[in-house]
Amino acid sequence: MNFEVISPKTTPELLNAIYDNQTENFRIGAGFTDLINQFKTQETEGLILINLTQLKDDNFKLIIENKTNFQIGALTTASEIIDNKSIKENFPVLYQAASKLASTQIRNVATVGGNICNVSPSGDMTAALIALKATCHIIDCDGNERKELLSSFIRGLKKTSLTKKEIIKNITIPKNAGQNLKSGFEKVGSRKSMEISIVSLAYHLQLTNDGIITHAGVACGAVAPTIPFTTSACEFLIEKNINTISENDKEEFAIKVLEYANPISDIRASDWYRKEVLFNVSKTIFGK
Amino acid sequence: MLLRQFIKNSSNPPLTPPKEGKLPPFGRVGVGQTSNFKTMKKELNIIGKSHQKLDGKERVSGKAVYGHDIELPNMLHGSILRAKYPCAEIISIDTSKALTLEGVECIITANDVDVNNIGYKRDHPILKKGTVNCNRDEIAAVAAQTKEIADKAIQLIEVKYKIKEGVYDPFEALKETAPRINEFGKGAEQFGNKNVAEYFHYEHGNLAEQKAKSKVIVKKRYELPRVTHACMATSNITAEFNNFDGRLTLWSSTQVPFLYQRDIAHALKMEPSKIRVIQPIIGGGFGSKLDMHPFEPICVLLAKKSGKPVQILYSREEEFLASPTRQPMVIDLTTGCDENGKFTFREVEIIKDNGAYTSWGATTPFVMMQSYSSLYQVPACKFDSHAVYTNNPFAGSFRGYGNPQATFSIESNIDLMAEELGMDKREIRLINANYKGEITGQGLHFKTCGAIPALKTVIEKSNYDKIMAAPNTGRYKRGVGLGSMLHVGGGAKIYRSDGCGTTLKLDDYGYLTIVTGSNEIGQGSETVLAMIAMEELGIPKEKIKVINTDTDVKPWDVGVHASRTSFVAGNSLLGAIKLIKEKLNNKASQLLNVKTNEWEYKDGSMLFNGQEIKLDKVAREMHFASPHELCTVNYFYEPPSRFQDKDFKGDVSGNYAFASQAIEVEVDTVTGNVQVLNVHVSQDVGRVLNPIGLQGQMEGGLATGIGYALTEEMIYEKGILKNPSFHGYKMLTSTDMPDVHFYPIETYDEAGPYGSKGAGEAPLIPTAAAIANAVSNALGVRFYSLPITAEKVLRALSEKKLETRNSKQETNKI
Repeated sequence: MNFEVISPKTTPELLNAIYDNQTENFRIGAGFTDLINQFKTQETEGLILINLTQLKDDNFKLIIENKTNFQIGALTTASEIIDNKSIKENFPVLYQAASKLASTQIRNVATVGGNICNVSPSGDMTAALIALKATCHIIDCDGNERKELLSSFIRGLKKTSLTKKEIIKNITIPKNAGQNLKSGFEKVGSRKSMEISIVSLAYHLQLTNDGIITHAGVACGAVAPTIPFTTSACEFLIEKNINTISENDKEEFAIKVLEYANPISDIRASDWYRKEVLFNVSKTIFGK
Repeated sequence: MLLRQFIKNSSNPPLTPPKEGKLPPFGRVGVGQTSNFKTMKKELNIIGKSHQKLDGKERVSGKAVYGHDIELPNMLHGSILRAKYPCAEIISIDTSKALTLEGVECIITANDVDVNNIGYKRDHPILKKGTVNCNRDEIAAVAAQTKEIADKAIQLIEVKYKIKEGVYDPFEALKETAPRINEFGKGAEQFGNKNVAEYFHYEHGNLAEQKAKSKVIVKKRYELPRVTHACMATSNITAEFNNFDGRLTLWSSTQVPFLYQRDIAHALKMEPSKIRVIQPIIGGGFGSKLDMHPFEPICVLLAKKSGKPVQILYSREEEFLASPTRQPMVIDLTTGCDENGKFTFREVEIIKDNGAYTSWGATTPFVMMQSYSSLYQVPACKFDSHAVYTNNPFAGSFRGYGNPQATFSIESNIDLMAEELGMDKREIRLINANYKGEITGQGLHFKTCGAIPALKTVIEKSNYDKIMAAPNTGRYKRGVGLGSMLHVGGGAKIYRSDGCGTTLKLDDYGYLTIVTGSNEIGQGSETVLAMIAMEELGIPKEKIKVINTDTDVKPWDVGVHASRTSFVAGNSLLGAIKLIKEKLNNKASQLLNVKTNEWEYKDGSMLFNGQEIKLDKVAREMHFASPHELCTVNYFYEPPSRFQDKDFKGDVSGNYAFASQAIEVEVDTVTGNVQVLNVHVSQDVGRVLNPIGLQGQMEGGLATGIGYALTEEMIYEKGILKNPSFHGYKMLTSTDMPDVHFYPIETYDEAGPYGSKGAGEAPLIPTAAAIANAVSNALGVRFYSLPITAEKVLRALSEKKLETRNSKQETNKI
């Protein structure tokens, strides 16, 4: 590994670094848990690394409760997500996804922005955020800002709408309508830690006091080139009562989730297994 | 009820039922404490109480010096070019571009070196020419000023290949039409097939007679995967060659320094004594360092050619790609029992994927035939094993040495026989269990035997009945399984000597130096040696030094294998202590003018009848007063074991270790994941020497055993490793470890130091067997291949569902 490192300390310095290197080959690193691995197999000569670990800007770092949403800085680490009480209470799906990520050491440095921008189909926090209908807040080195729903920000395998001029500043998650939730993250793998999801299912259901599902967000990881938000499965759940949902409805929901799955076979699991597990897991989210 | 009846009516020698001992950190079970071995009688102060590892603080604080930390003046860094294809002809190798890279000092290929083939079959060229036969094949090596330059130079070497169709299945390789894979193999002459690398045959008893007696005969095929040691410290070596006197110094993490010295000498056509092997702290052995591998002589060749010290360190990927593996194999096992469940015979045929070259994996039958012939009472046994060349990587030795594979097949068949006979799975094991005094068909003599107490203990402790009786419906299904094992406990006479030498020096200040032939690879044996000296000589730990890392200094020993180190080195030390005590006793008696040999050694002093003299004072008087002698002794211990005859019969070990495990699992029928909830392990260790060290061996062994059972597998496609990383190779982590309940059995075997037996390999041997039996118990579906992955489980469950559905439909039709 042989490359130049720029470590901006302020947002203007960061944007300048991006601006100045538009003609260069540069990468942005925050937690480096994925990037270092990539550098092992990629040619790094002539590469410029923009290192975000010294950046001091609360807009990138803090978890803030706004009027209609929660704002999570792109440089928030998985450990910071786990430690945040509001996240744990309001978005168990995100709390669980962050908790199940890799190991303590990795959670201490891996960032939300990095998890999103690595665009892995098995990104755990990304799957949770897609289920939560999160929005990316993006700035560019010309001073422009824009917002985009995370599920559309991701454009394909290893592809996002991010241009070379842009960087994600933070992510917002709309607030829940009420207190009643059925929210969680199912991670399937062969180890309890240091595992990359073979299949994951992120679900965030908002309920009335009686258990009627009013809002539903379900996304599945590692079963397609991108992490799909399973719109038709979510629509199917609206107005169903979680306490009395029938086995047939559970199965129909699972079938609808499965429609979004187009998995590959690799050394970790076959496409058959991924589908079978996704189907099985989808049926289980309603129980206690 | 059957079980209780058995215990009452057992015809085996009566045994005291397991009792809970008082000693922390776990209960102990003592059996047959009537031995007259003198060291067992007296009260022990040190042995049996937990002592921290001598190098524990260095290891956990990062101060320990591993091979990777060694830096010599002007040292170069080596890197190895490996084959791009697992089976190809080498048309040409062009190193010219690589040589021009700044910082490159030298490059070697097969054409530049005068060397011998390596491996015990001498079928393995250190550097390959003409053809490459597997994807770890070494083609060229570079020494450069930095590791980065060396790695870059490797990429600049241009090799032209003619790709050939390889053979990756040993059954294919056995066919007449298969190409000859290893040109040095002598299969055609020796075994009637060009691709057979090694063959073993063993038998005892009258097979036909026993078959005729059998009520139940079970025949099954078992498939065992290729797994790797995954040592935390990757392979490493540093070599320095002195051009003036022709002497070579190696900083190596070998487990067997003296055999290694001989192997390096043979490979490089040198005199063994000109090679000095120094062992830095070793970050994991587990059998992987029992053989010398090509990178080691390659490092020496680079050092010789460059005239500078050279170091080769593997990356993690290279460690996966190029270190030896556990021996993969296909086992066809037929076993029988009579109407009472008494075993009648075992007939086994094994095909091993030897890979392209022969290392110790091919010799795992030495251990496997012991289990087939002698684990439980076996009236007749026939064993055949072929190791077959393929274009896969070669297998080496790995903790357990074939025994986990054998035990998996044996214990699975036992469950199947019990099911067919309608017999309790505990009872069938208990009525066939090994017993004290048994001389097996192979000639193993169990002078002590904790097999039955171990089985009874795990059955009792595991809540076996309760788990079996619990309702097993819903998403998570629970099951319990049993597995037992037999392994050598007192070394193994594989070489002409299975002994170990010790030199003791008591200096003028009362410090004791133990120079032992044995070595430490993390198993904790040097700590046990220090404990023995503390116990016997009353010298505090701070005043004991164990020297065990330098072949120029230490006396001979075979090395770390066969769970032998504490046994042989402990006995050797006890012998040396007896000699040094004679010297000290004489001198002290002379100094204090008493006539006795009954000196007590305590707190650095010698005591008799109210008289006391400090040890250092005695040593000084020996040294400085006439007749002026040093307080040093030498002792060599050779175990009472015998070399096996040509039919592999004979009492090969000083004693034998027995163990049982009862493992409780929970299977998630949604994901197929198997979680191990509880492991109850009871092992005949003879006597507990260092409880915390023993517990560590248990937990470490179980971690490996559970991984072998459930997740670990090197995935090869046409000779190419697809998962050379911890991401793809699913070694389990601490978070996956179940609760480990350990109940040592103490049988006080006369042969071992303080009655102890070797314990290192045993903890992982019956683990996969017990887990497979537990999963089968939970699901009603049996798995004949390892690892039992979530995908295999889910597939089996979906097939079972389909079967049930189909059979229902058929029923409806009727």
